[in-house]
Amino acid sequence: MPPSTKRLNNGLSVTTKVFVRSRNGGATKIVREHYLRDDVACYSKLCDQCEYSLETTPVLSHVPFSTAKLSKHYLILDTNTVLNAIDLLESSQALFDVIIPQTVLEEVRNRSYPIYTRLRGLSKADAKRLIVFHNEFCKNTFVARQKGETINDYNDRLIRKVCEYYNSHLSKYGVKAILLTDDKDNLRKCKDERVLALSLREYLSKLPNSEDLLDTLPSAQDDFQVAEFKYAEYYSQSRLIAGVKSSVLFQGPMNVSSYDIFEGTINLPSIFPKPILVRGRQNMNRATNGDLVVVELLPKSQWVAPSNDIVDESTLGNVDNEDNDLIISDQERRLLNKEARRAQMEEESKLQPSAKVVGVIRRRWRLFTGQLSPNTITSNTNTLNSCLITLSEKSMPAVRIKTRKANDLLNMRIVVAIDDWPGTSKHPEGHFVRTLGPIEDKDTEQEALLLEHDVEYRPFSKNVLDCLPKEGHEWVVPEDLSSDEQLKKRRDLRDKLVCSIDPPGCVDIDDALHARRLSNGNFEVGVHIADVTHFVKPATPLDQEGSSRSTSVYLVDKRIDMLPTLLGTDLCSLKPYVDRFSFSVIWELDEDANIINVDFMKSIIKSREAFSYQDAQDRIDDPSNKDELTQGMRSLLALSKKLKKKRMDAGALNLSSPEVKVHMDSETSDPGEVEIKKLLDTNSLVEEFMLLANISVARKIYDAFPQIAMLRRHAPPPSTNFEALNEMLHIRKGMTVSVENSKALSDSLDRCVDKNDEYFNTLVRIMATRCMMAAEYFVSGNFSYQEFKHYGLAADIYTHFTSPIRRYCDVLAHRQLAAAIGYEPLHPSQRDKTKMDLIVKNMNRRHRNAQFAGRASIEYYVGQVIKNTESSQEGYIIKVFTNGVVVLVPNFGVESLIKLEDMGDESSGLFDEKDFKLSFNDKIGNRRELHVFDKVTVYMKSVLNEMTGKRKAVFMLK
Amino acid sequence: MFKIALSPAERSYLHESLSCSSPIRPDARLYKQFRPLEATCSFLPGSNGSARIRMADGAECLASVKAKVVSLQLNNADATQQLQNLIEVDLDINGIRDDSNLSSTIASSLKGSLVKHVPLDKLRLTHRYAFKLFIDIVVLSHSSVYPLTLLSLATYMALKSTKLPLLTSTVDDREIEEQPMFSDDWESSIALFGDSSLSPPLLFVVAVVNDNIFIDPSPEEESVSENGICLTYANGKIISPLQTISLSPKDNTGINAAQILKAHALVKEIGPLVTKSLDEIVSDDSVKTIF
Repeated sequence: MPPSTKRLNNGLSVTTKVFVRSRNGGATKIVREHYLRDDVACYSKLCDQCEYSLETTPVLSHVPFSTAKLSKHYLILDTNTVLNAIDLLESSQALFDVIIPQTVLEEVRNRSYPIYTRLRGLSKADAKRLIVFHNEFCKNTFVARQKGETINDYNDRLIRKVCEYYNSHLSKYGVKAILLTDDKDNLRKCKDERVLALSLREYLSKLPNSEDLLDTLPSAQDDFQVAEFKYAEYYSQSRLIAGVKSSVLFQGPMNVSSYDIFEGTINLPSIFPKPILVRGRQNMNRATNGDLVVVELLPKSQWVAPSNDIVDESTLGNVDNEDNDLIISDQERRLLNKEARRAQMEEESKLQPSAKVVGVIRRRWRLFTGQLSPNTITSNTNTLNSCLITLSEKSMPAVRIKTRKANDLLNMRIVVAIDDWPGTSKHPEGHFVRTLGPIEDKDTEQEALLLEHDVEYRPFSKNVLDCLPKEGHEWVVPEDLSSDEQLKKRRDLRDKLVCSIDPPGCVDIDDALHARRLSNGNFEVGVHIADVTHFVKPATPLDQEGSSRSTSVYLVDKRIDMLPTLLGTDLCSLKPYVDRFSFSVIWELDEDANIINVDFMKSIIKSREAFSYQDAQDRIDDPSNKDELTQGMRSLLALSKKLKKKRMDAGALNLSSPEVKVHMDSETSDPGEVEIKKLLDTNSLVEEFMLLANISVARKIYDAFPQIAMLRRHAPPPSTNFEALNEMLHIRKGMTVSVENSKALSDSLDRCVDKNDEYFNTLVRIMATRCMMAAEYFVSGNFSYQEFKHYGLAADIYTHFTSPIRRYCDVLAHRQLAAAIGYEPLHPSQRDKTKMDLIVKNMNRRHRNAQFAGRASIEYYVGQVIKNTESSQEGYIIKVFTNGVVVLVPNFGVESLIKLEDMGDESSGLFDEKDFKLSFNDKIGNRRELHVFDKVTVYMKSVLNEMTGKRKAVFMLK
Repeated sequence: MFKIALSPAERSYLHESLSCSSPIRPDARLYKQFRPLEATCSFLPGSNGSARIRMADGAECLASVKAKVVSLQLNNADATQQLQNLIEVDLDINGIRDDSNLSSTIASSLKGSLVKHVPLDKLRLTHRYAFKLFIDIVVLSHSSVYPLTLLSLATYMALKSTKLPLLTSTVDDREIEEQPMFSDDWESSIALFGDSSLSPPLLFVVAVVNDNIFIDPSPEEESVSENGICLTYANGKIISPLQTISLSPKDNTGINAAQILKAHALVKEIGPLVTKSLDEIVSDDSVKTIF
């Protein structure tokens, strides 16, 4: 029954679309009215028939691209071409004057949302001249679905119709529209219907720079005919949904072990107390780290213990299970679930409930950086080579790509995209995107690192920079404070003796302090925070950019700013000797640092001095300094010590991570030496008052906005996290840490002391830190007050307020506080809880990535330092495997794996799981035993990993 | 209910002419002839099936069939009961309360006969899931005492035009549960009565005057009839329920076997003709889409 079309008025007619929507198991017949217009513009600058409204102008060029082999043409892309060639589409090498039919845009959105947003971004950029043509609303290009036609065939027909239309519409201007499609069936139909169509490969090969272009194309399906492996097929969508719904299958993100790429865990806290284990290539079934997967429990006979082996791409062991075609009914599965829960509660068995992956809901495939594995190049000529790319992310498998330039790519850091993982291939298939530069090159590695952690490092765009004050660096605090209503609300605090204390060389000064003894014996203490929100107004491009970056990223020799430098290092930065806007928290504290009173205000301050921690310490320590500023700093120090004591008594944790600092040679900026960060009293001075300010502000904004206050929480760690550590401590040292509350943990950590080894306590703290939960931002409406608790700081409520230049949460907190004190109302977009939820999600992710990027940067530089200075160092064994140990070297803050084969005779290795002991015959035949927590001397040198191209510290046991 | 005020003389004349051995109906119809009617189907775009019947005298009835996926209670001993619950009939006659005796009697007898004549196996999707049919019938206006014929014609056509979305997921979910998935193409949906040997039942009301019987009695004929018989016809047979009904407030005499046999023969004769013409309307693909 073809739907009839009815004319409504001149240029507008209406028809109906009928389809079935199956959702949540139901089937609903949906009937939509579908309006057709005859005035949908073609967007060609050549065309003089189409009319444009005020906001729109034609985009497609007067003189479209042409080559010797192709006359002037526009391009129409089908969905698969867009999905496959999105990288090419974004590059400036090829594909100009592109028409994206609406049909394609919608299909792309359903297939991959990230690519959809990239495509939308392209349609806004001018360079590529890309337009979206609303073919389904255009009377000339709409066709009704035919009876029995599949949706794919129908969409193809709609797209062919667009091509047909453009060719007839533009025929008199001598421009052709070429449809690019890789669908064989579609190409055949195009031929039948005399529609001009080419496959993407055919098209690119007609271009002058085809060699380079063809390489960046994703692998065509029939290119690879390797059938080296057979993975189990994924279950059908309907089975996955029903299974998850009735709790016989489980859905969660795959967490691949960084030691063994064939071991992953799925965390299902609401169902199982411990993560479910997925082990072995066959059971992992093509799931990669971070993918959202659906798993099914294996029968009890196939449960395994977590691996004690180290498996990476270089030591691919064969840990596959034999095929099993057992059919287990849902009924039996429910019993199995109970069994699994019980097994997790009981402690005796090392066997853990194990599962296999039966479906992947969503891939977490982004662009990856990696390096070509030289041994996978089959021929030396520049023919099409299939080779493996080892990715920088350790928990990802190597990716197979096809390239003609294999030899050029050797020793290069390259970016690849993963396209697919067919069930017959051992490796996912991808394609080459671009080269970053030679391996080990500083800039290359830095860019790779930023890419790898999804850090936005491109310069700020023009419309972001347009939001900055026009005066630029000339901007000053206005002389006349009564000129403006908002300005009148600011408190003039320029008479206060304010100073800032920061790490040496700090240019983005977020915070400054002052203290003064009051006549009643109490202290007036002020914390002044850069008033970023004066410059970053909500819902501006600047604000959006800040929100999407969420945090500044600190690498060893580079800082990726959240806000443009003008703000960060000048206008907002609380530089000494100049007037600056600030947001101040002023307390009245008594002798014992109890809060008598607190006040929040927007203010103007003038910092007297910017100290480094060391300078401040020296100034305080020198008794000859008797000026008021120094006196104030002494009061601050005294108060901060009391604050710290109170916090510690309440159970705040003193955790540790092996933090090191890399000193750079100032001339060559080569890393010179590594130093462990020293903590001075003044460090904790600043820290204590920042904590106090954060807590005070958190209370205030929660009071004012109980639903949308931006807060930060740190959940108590589940005791299971500490099990492994506790077992090691108990067996090796006869100690335990208790985790009932932070106080107990703090105290028990204090008790973990080895008289013979000073460092042991720090080591335990480092390991305990790794067992903790990560702190996270949240919107207050999502948790109950009890859950606001910050475990590490032992605070009942907490937020981030004190670093708005480098963290976006602080910006939000500033706005909320400004609204809470009646300075200016909250922007509507910041009052919407769902929007805030999205912002928070992004903030947490960016924050984590920034931390990882920072650590990776240090790791890289430490590797460079070790390269220059090979030496023997003291280290501690922190993990024992059947075939190796992990050693941490505190002096460099690095840890590395020493494989058994490098220490001695591999066959003599004896692993005692209960005792965390690995015994073996070393190279000269002596029996050696290694335990966890053992202090060992290792010879450190830096070795370039052939597989990943990463320089890493490699230890040799002495 | 519509009262025709006929004078005693008119009543007597009408009764006489209908009682003759070759009766003459006031509108000159044959005893087995329907008044003209107008029928369309599939006119409600959101329904799985729908129909609309209008009589010449303005009586009008709409019927709509909607299908919804329901999960079946497993391990339930009374499986047949569950299957019977897959059909729900909701009847709304203009001017009569929903909970009135008449409405609920008609609805339940309609449901009873539908359960036997709708291919329930077609409603069954998998072991765990089935379509449930919601049949809504609205009689907008009517002139007869029992608008049964009218609404059964509409229901017949609505059911005949009913299409069910095509299941694309597996059918066997006895051991391994699956969520039903359907083809998004409405055109590929399956007709409920497509290749079925079953056919929805039709209810015919005949008026009895003396020894004569008349199909589709007009209000005037009803008012002089002695009795009414309601017969159910399906698949070439007269089936239960067969019941007598009172079409006029007076003169209710007993009914005799000959009259029933006559009515039986009449419906058996015209049944195939009625279903054939209705089926033709259903299979006629020209949609009447309303905007």
